[in-house]
Amino acid sequence: MALQLSVGLLFGIIVGLVIAFVLLKMANTNHRMKTEYDERQQLIRGKGYMYGFYTILFYEVIMMILDLAEVNFPIEHYTIHFVGVIFGCTVLCIYCLWNDVYWGLNNNKKKYSVIIVVCIILNLLPIIGQAANGTLVQDGKIGLTTLNIFVIIMMAAIGVAAVIKKLVKRDSSEEE
Amino acid sequence: MKNLRLKSARAALDLSQDDLAKACGVSRQTISAIEKGDYNPTINLCIAICKTLNKTLDELFWEE
Repeated sequence: MALQLSVGLLFGIIVGLVIAFVLLKMANTNHRMKTEYDERQQLIRGKGYMYGFYTILFYEVIMMILDLAEVNFPIEHYTIHFVGVIFGCTVLCIYCLWNDVYWGLNNNKKKYSVIIVVCIILNLLPIIGQAANGTLVQDGKIGLTTLNIFVIIMMAAIGVAAVIKKLVKRDSSEEE
Repeated sequence: MKNLRLKSARAALDLSQDDLAKACGVSRQTISAIEKGDYNPTINLCIAICKTLNKTLDELFWEE
């Protein structure tokens, strides 16, 4: 069963990467997969990656300590590390959003927005499906759907950050 | 320190921040940050800006 789950996960990740490759090529204005950034954006994004890395590091240490203390979480053990990756990505995205370096030079914002909405729907479907069937929580723990839940939380956090940024944005208007 | 010379040179050519950014291959926010003095551009970007605005490095970036 564990082998089947691992193979299934690996297959899912490969399919996801292929879909991401195609979508990125379509969503970028010059039809290149790689998003291009200018020198200031690269500099700030570098700091963002640093903070994301520290977040994952801190999270893993905390989780290790809690594991040693035999603290149980309502999620399956194999999803714990991925949740840390999602936290790191969230920190990177919010830092980039806050410093106006989230969008690259060749990103088509409208197409990316459509992709983000599709991602939200794709992540919501298994949660709603399992909640409707009453299989979301089994033996007091949430299984693989944990990943969908945390991706939705990440996207919600990024969305809230984007709205706040828009509200407090004063210094990047053309007039200044 | 704000770079008012860059701002006035850009305005003199009737270019928006977005126009200058596209001509130099950077984002509009980067041009905005340079004008506000929030970001020190590399020499390559300084040259690209100078060429676009038909100015010398001294005219736009040298502080007296």
